[in-house]
Amino acid sequence: MLSIQLVAGISLLYIALLFMVAYYADKKQEQGHSIISNPYIYSLSIAVYATSWTFYGSVGRAATTGLDFLLVYLGSSLTAFTWWFLLRKIVRISKENNITSIADFISSRYGKSQWLGAIITVIAMLGIMPYIALQLKAISTTFAIITGNRGIHLILKEGVSLAPPHPGFLAAIFLTIFSIVFGARHLVSSERHEGLVAAIAVESIVKLVAFLTVGIFVTYYLFSGFEDIFSQLSAKDRILYEHLTTLGTPGNISYMSWFSMFFLSMGAIMLLPRQFHILVIENSNEEHIKDAMWRFPAYIFLINIFVVPIAFGGVLISGSCRDADYFVLTLPLSKGHHWLALLAFLGGFSAAAGMVIVESVAISTMFLNHLVMPIIVKLTPRAWFPILLINLKRFGIFLVIFLGYIYYRIVGETYMLSNMGLISFAAAAQFGPALLGGLYWHRGNKSGAVTGLIFGFLIWFYTLLVPSFVKSGWWQSGLLENGPFGIEFLKPTELFGLTGFDIWSNSIFWSMFFNIGAYLACSIILPQDEVEKEQIGKFIDIFEIKKEEESWETKRFSKPVTIMQFVNLMAKFIGENQAHIAIAEYLGDGEIDERGGVSEFELPRLKRFTEKTLAGSLGAAASGAIVESFLSDLGSKMEPVYDIFSTVRAELSESREALSVRLRASGLMNRTIDLSIIMKDLLDLLRNEFKFDLAIIRLKQNNSLLTTVSYSGAEIPAILEREIVPDINTCIGDAYLSNKPRFINNTQHITKMESKELLERERIRSFAHIPIAREGEPPLGILSVFSRSIIGLFTQPFIDLLSSLAGQLAQAVQIDTEMSAKERERQQKERALLENARVAKEMEIARQIQLSLLPAVPPELARVKFAARCVSATQVGGDYYDFFRRGDDLVDIIIADVSGHSVGAAFIMVEARSFLRAKVHSTGSAGKMLATLNELLYEDLTKSELFITMFYVKYNAERQLLSYANAGHNRPFFYRPRDGHCSELDAEGLILGVKREVIFEEKSIQMQRGDMLLLYTDGIIEARNESGDFFGSDRLISIIGKAYNKEPEQVVETILMEVTNFTGSQVAEDDISLVVMKVL
Amino acid sequence: MKHKILTRISCYLNLKETWIIFFILGIIMMNYPFIHIFDTPRLIFGIPALFLYLFMGWMISIYVIYLFVKAIDLADEDKGERS
Repeated sequence: MLSIQLVAGISLLYIALLFMVAYYADKKQEQGHSIISNPYIYSLSIAVYATSWTFYGSVGRAATTGLDFLLVYLGSSLTAFTWWFLLRKIVRISKENNITSIADFISSRYGKSQWLGAIITVIAMLGIMPYIALQLKAISTTFAIITGNRGIHLILKEGVSLAPPHPGFLAAIFLTIFSIVFGARHLVSSERHEGLVAAIAVESIVKLVAFLTVGIFVTYYLFSGFEDIFSQLSAKDRILYEHLTTLGTPGNISYMSWFSMFFLSMGAIMLLPRQFHILVIENSNEEHIKDAMWRFPAYIFLINIFVVPIAFGGVLISGSCRDADYFVLTLPLSKGHHWLALLAFLGGFSAAAGMVIVESVAISTMFLNHLVMPIIVKLTPRAWFPILLINLKRFGIFLVIFLGYIYYRIVGETYMLSNMGLISFAAAAQFGPALLGGLYWHRGNKSGAVTGLIFGFLIWFYTLLVPSFVKSGWWQSGLLENGPFGIEFLKPTELFGLTGFDIWSNSIFWSMFFNIGAYLACSIILPQDEVEKEQIGKFIDIFEIKKEEESWETKRFSKPVTIMQFVNLMAKFIGENQAHIAIAEYLGDGEIDERGGVSEFELPRLKRFTEKTLAGSLGAAASGAIVESFLSDLGSKMEPVYDIFSTVRAELSESREALSVRLRASGLMNRTIDLSIIMKDLLDLLRNEFKFDLAIIRLKQNNSLLTTVSYSGAEIPAILEREIVPDINTCIGDAYLSNKPRFINNTQHITKMESKELLERERIRSFAHIPIAREGEPPLGILSVFSRSIIGLFTQPFIDLLSSLAGQLAQAVQIDTEMSAKERERQQKERALLENARVAKEMEIARQIQLSLLPAVPPELARVKFAARCVSATQVGGDYYDFFRRGDDLVDIIIADVSGHSVGAAFIMVEARSFLRAKVHSTGSAGKMLATLNELLYEDLTKSELFITMFYVKYNAERQLLSYANAGHNRPFFYRPRDGHCSELDAEGLILGVKREVIFEEKSIQMQRGDMLLLYTDGIIEARNESGDFFGSDRLISIIGKAYNKEPEQVVETILMEVTNFTGSQVAEDDISLVVMKVL
Repeated sequence: MKHKILTRISCYLNLKETWIIFFILGIIMMNYPFIHIFDTPRLIFGIPALFLYLFMGWMISIYVIYLFVKAIDLADEDKGERS
């Protein structure tokens, strides 16, 4: 017997040690290094399955009913074998959906049903009562044993002491405090408590070591090994020995009972709330599951090796099976090994405490999320909510433990430890059908789960819990013997007349029968709703979900919500800090436009993210309800998207209909190059396929306005005739300027006022403006589509389709523009060529006319010879010379040059010639001739801005008298052989066409034999050679000097030859005209 | 040697199907009628038959689980190499 202070002290010290481990682990996790994230710790933490039932109760059972204690572990060992498939799937789903508990998991699968979550929580809370009770019983009883059954006196003051409280009560209080400290210090958004897991792992080691130590002590110290114990018992009490080492009376009954317990333990290892919590929620890495698959069974194996020796040894030493539950403690104690007994106590205490802490934390999480939150959600979130929530969680822990305490008080003394535990196993088993069905059966639905659970629970309650109350005497009733109201058929332990089953098999059979039956029936008969179907995919097909998140939304928001509103909502429940961190992670490098909103297609994803984040703290059902109420407060509902292709749910890639539309569009764009036909056909196609009321193509014109070039559908002048100035205040202007599609799915919520009035007038419900542009180029126009009847028309895939059609259209427009430009160019060139040809022809005609006007042969007069030549330049020239015979001896000689090389110049010359011809016989002197000519031609010359230079000669061959007048022409050269040099003949006179009235000086000269006169135009002296030198009058003079005695014809030839030699390859710019006169 | 056996197992037999076989086997062997076979007070090596059967059987089953875990590891490695 040890002192109370020692035992209590060691126990508290031990808890403090565990707490330090937990604290250390939590700190490390905050720093980012998780010390518990390894497979050993994971496997050890699962061993929380071994509670004081394992520690004490197994021995008790082994000593009273035999080897069937082992079933609790054999079943769980076999279940461990399934973990790689089953558990991994559960873990994956739970991580993806931020699941917080088994109630969360099941309710989430069945459409985030709050009712389901609540039912499961109630079942868990009531079902776990016996289990907690057994831990409390174990602790208080072993405490009493080890301290010598002395009660605990609370000394308040000297002489005043309270009556010793029931030992279990203190245990309950302390365990409540420990549980709160380990698991409810603050609200964690992920419900992972690394510290708790570390503490549990340590605790598992402690209990294993303790049990093995006692086992080794008993087997090899008190006895001489296994065979020794068996043979001793066999010798001492054969009957008991046989009873314990076999299955007792032969027959199916025992086998049935065997199988029932086996079956129960298969379920319990995963379905007990604490097991689910440790296995799934606290799991940090799926890979650990692999190792746990064999490590956990190995642990259980080890801890069970010495159960039978200790049991048999206890029977042998104590002489009976009484209090067999506590042989582990009483054996060392009775042999005086107090420290070993203390170790054993510590082991048992550790096992019990571990179970209670984890179980109460797990269940209070469910309590908070599924019983409390649905009520809280109805209220407006306030600032003190986080504090309220954490305290409610603590209250939940208290509630769970004290329910267990109450059960302990009522039933505790009646049942052995292991039997109390089995009651809880049977309760946990009710979760099995709903869980497994939810994971593997697509049709499993909410109604099925709810009815199955309710039936199973009721049967369990009636066949196990109620009998325990009756048997303990708390409820005096003849229920067990006679059935309710005397109906024997409905006796709890032999329900529906099923006799011959033990209480467990009876209960399990009927509860499972009704549970599974109702689940199957309701799932098959009743339909599932939308949310459920969504969840089914997430749960059953979790391993097939591909990484691409892009899926066609089936819902859209009727009114846009901004990111900040979501963040504020989250902050109300998980605090500002956490909310901001979460949203920052979500956004990453996602798109936010300038107004802090996200694109309409992002909103459903954002809503789901918010739900998921909140679910970490509040459970999926509650968080779903919160977000829904938040949105409905804002006035934004989730409306179904208009399912334009009827295949929104089907594939992630584009549907066949969309492809066929694209194909048809391509076809009609390539069929013709007439743009107006293309546009009309395309618009008609869009209208027919998608039932738009109006579809318009606008193109940018040269004046930067967007005007309608083609439309299909209702004639709405207000829209059609608008000439759009691209302006950001209108939707269409916005689309054009930003080169992005702009669309409104519900015109009730449009914000641009200008557009809103117009749209309301015309009763347009939804519309879109798609820029017509090729990749990376500025838009050429806008494709607009309007619907008067449908809202929610424009989904991302649909907008993509329209954009790609607009892109093709842009291509067609571009091609058309280029082609028109080319056509214009070609036509211009053609015209230019024609023009040139025409002009050239005209010029040629003019030249021919002009040349034909020059005299073919010079006149023949006595004693004088003439020669004349005109060499025209490339263009029509303006040179003119003529001879007028006025009698036998009189001749007039003219040489003239019109300025400019044009047809006009040539015609002026023709006009002059006509005048001369008309006047030559009437007018007298040369000067007068020029004056008359000047007056006559003055107007025309002024109008055409041309000038004429002329040199007029009158020659009397009989008297050999030459008279002349000059109108600004080159002075002719006069050569007298006797003199041997050239002189110029000059007379005063203006160029013709300058003034209307001009007086021309007239001069005369007496010619002698051999005199030569050369009349020329400036084409000669201005002829250039390659180096740019002019021919010049000097050269001309020198030629005359050399050739004066030649015939005039030869003189002309000589001069021309010289000029040709001089100019070389240079093209003549001006006409060259020569008149040579020689007096014989 | 163990490695070779394991490789052969995972090559010839589909892991999932083998698993199902062993699982069902486990259920059968931990229940009637196998229990019935050992349901005698006879001693084997001085230890009650049922006791021995259960514990030995259990140990073997743990070892089978261990082998499976190793096979899964191998399969994952192969998958990792191939992908």
